[in-house]
Amino acid sequence: MELNAHYIVISPTAGELKWDAKPDDFLLSKQLGWMEFLEKELKEHVLEARQGFTAVSIIWRTPEAQSTFQKQFQKFKIKPKTLSSQIWEIPVCYGLDYGPDLGSLAVSHRIRVNQLIELHSSTVYRLHFFGFLPGFPYLNGLPEQLHTPRKSVPDRSVEPGSVAIGGRQTGIYPQASPGGWHIIGQTPVELFDVKKSPPVWASPGDQLKFEPIDSGQMEKMLASPPYPRKR
Amino acid sequence: MAIATVLKTGPGSSIQDLGRRGQANLGIPLSGAMDMKSFAWINHILQNEVNDAALEVSQPGFQIQFDSPTYIAIAGAEAIVRLNDQLIEKSNLIAIQSKDLLEIGAFLSGSIVYIGIKYGFKTPKILGSRSQYKGLTEDSILHKGTKIQYFMDSEASPVFNAKAKWSTEWYREEEILAYPGPDFHLLKENLREKLIGQTFRISQQSNRMGAQLLELLENDLPELPTNPVFPGTVQLTSGGKLIILLKDAQVTGGYPRILQLDVESQWKLAQKKPGSKVRFKLFQPRISTISR
Repeated sequence: MELNAHYIVISPTAGELKWDAKPDDFLLSKQLGWMEFLEKELKEHVLEARQGFTAVSIIWRTPEAQSTFQKQFQKFKIKPKTLSSQIWEIPVCYGLDYGPDLGSLAVSHRIRVNQLIELHSSTVYRLHFFGFLPGFPYLNGLPEQLHTPRKSVPDRSVEPGSVAIGGRQTGIYPQASPGGWHIIGQTPVELFDVKKSPPVWASPGDQLKFEPIDSGQMEKMLASPPYPRKR
Repeated sequence: MAIATVLKTGPGSSIQDLGRRGQANLGIPLSGAMDMKSFAWINHILQNEVNDAALEVSQPGFQIQFDSPTYIAIAGAEAIVRLNDQLIEKSNLIAIQSKDLLEIGAFLSGSIVYIGIKYGFKTPKILGSRSQYKGLTEDSILHKGTKIQYFMDSEASPVFNAKAKWSTEWYREEEILAYPGPDFHLLKENLREKLIGQTFRISQQSNRMGAQLLELLENDLPELPTNPVFPGTVQLTSGGKLIILLKDAQVTGGYPRILQLDVESQWKLAQKKPGSKVRFKLFQPRISTISR
């Protein structure tokens, strides 16, 4: 399948590559190919590149660099990046005090709580990028049955490690913050540690899977947070 | 090292430098001084490095005490400045002695005062910056009792800079320059006219993450896939709220990105008080050499 980007100039030194497509693995591999190309081949011209679900935004060092790029970008042969087949296993304690919205979410989708947990934890998710907060992973692949509009009134404070559903996505809050997503569980794994380099363990393109744990395991793990396993 | 102690502060004041460029891929916001013009000015006056950290004071009633001699510079909002209870008329460059107490009182115009110090404030750099941000730096804002290190300097004052004048005229203009954002094309003609023609007022719901506007822009734009946003991006929510993202904004967002403010207009906006009026003026990027 052919899927070409178009380039939108935003300001003299900012623009974005944009794809008219739904976010999926195919588009992600193209975006990551572009990110690598920008970082390696155009490093001296690019101040910063950031990636979302259907765009790669670029801040240029000079207006000239942007206009040169705009003229040439369709000629660049960008090799899509091969996405990782390894899977990070993230322990999650669903429900109880750790997932205050689990029950109401099951009711609104007319399924049993354990069905919801099964659906959420049997899926392998793809990490597209970090956004919203330092280390907040945007995961694609939430089963359609679990798509849920965000809360109309956001919670004032969500616990760090909260596993949540918002819209078509699931994600994990790395730090306490206000939040509009539905909290179904919590992981004892730390998502972002500023003292580590890099502060995150996963990279865009990696896969994640949630492993249900009980409250006993959760309490033990919270006392000494484990590093996630990769298989 | 010398120590400055915050004796009194309102919420939201912080230590800032140029911020953390290029770490958005980890979800880390840019941060840095909201009004780069005033920030750059104080470092210039002090003959500092451009990235030397300063205090960003966003509330009146700020007091700080210095334990050793140095020089400080003040710019940004026009405020009542007192040193040991003495009113300071020209607050560009101030010589500080041991035990001196500096107070920032009422703001006459503008909303952020910058206090710079010779060689900059020396808090630990985290991921390349001293800008305070929750989850990155030890403290996310300045508190009563916060102690900040600095280098003592009792050398003679750099006289040639001392008479330079700080003007506050530039941030009083209502006009805010903006480029069409990546999702601007989704707006129908009547919405574009309202957005560009109408006068908006800044709401109380404004902070380092973003400024909201009081007037709504009713729309039926769809929610979009989450994509990159920047300081200066204007988002339009489904409820019609206009949110202008500022220095501590998240790095990605799902609301339509309808405008991107020119950088100087972002600094201007940062100095505007809630209730201030703004008007957007659109300019198309000048890329005359392109033919496609």
